Amino acid sequence: MINSIILVFIGGAIGAIVRELLMLGTPHLSDNFPLDILVANIAAAFLLGLVTALHTRRVISDDTNLLVGTGVMGGLSTFSSFVYGAVVLMGASTQSAVVATIYVGVSLVIGYGAVTLGMKCGKGRQS
Amino acid sequence: MMALDFAWVGLGGGLGSVLRWAIGRMVGERYHGGFPLATFLINVSGAFVIGYLSVLIGVDWRDRYSTAIIAAVLTGGLGGYTTFSSMQLDAVKLAATAPRRALFYLLLSVGLGLAAAALGAELASWQG
Repeated sequence: MINSIILVFIGGAIGAIVRELLMLGTPHLSDNFPLDILVANIAAAFLLGLVTALHTRRVISDDTNLLVGTGVMGGLSTFSSFVYGAVVLMGASTQSAVVATIYVGVSLVIGYGAVTLGMKCGKGRQS
Repeated sequence: MMALDFAWVGLGGGLGSVLRWAIGRMVGERYHGGFPLATFLINVSGAFVIGYLSVLIGVDWRDRYSTAIIAAVLTGGLGGYTTFSSMQLDAVKLAATAPRRALFYLLLSVGLGLAAAALGAELASWQG
């Protein structure tokens, strides 16, 4: 129990810090499209798919899955900033509402594809 | 971004993630249906809180760590608490057996998430 809490805490802390570093390194777009949050979320989705598949195959242990899957990938991705950014953009102007709608749609489609791709990569050659 | 900003984001991210994990366990012990309820509840509640607090503190949505509160609570805490990746993983897993329910889950999460963030912001501005 305590062990699990420590693993999730450390993973979540690392994930959140890496998210901000990744966001700092992402260029800002002129139309306010939140590319930085999208990049963090897509990276986390791909890696979570990969880690989950490796965990299913027992390549990584329960503890590693808790540290990396639950902790790091949960901390790296964010749903709150994703929807709040979209809400602010939707209320700003018609043009940015269009940008926000595209942002939400693109995030969902690519995020789903990223998890699927990550799982495929983690399944290995035999399956 | 300074060293202290990293510390606040990390602390918040760690605590938020532990809260997410604990709620996931509690919901998992009580609910055994075919809907990813834990992640859904976590994300919608986190969306409400970020909308509420952002307007209450008066922070721009692009500001991620100008003060300790913003860095620790909004960026670290709520970012660690809510999760986009687990939502997508839930959907991919669900799609293997119930593709329609997976689509419903994704659309409901995002639809109610947007509504919750807007409602939180509205409530905070109404309170003045």
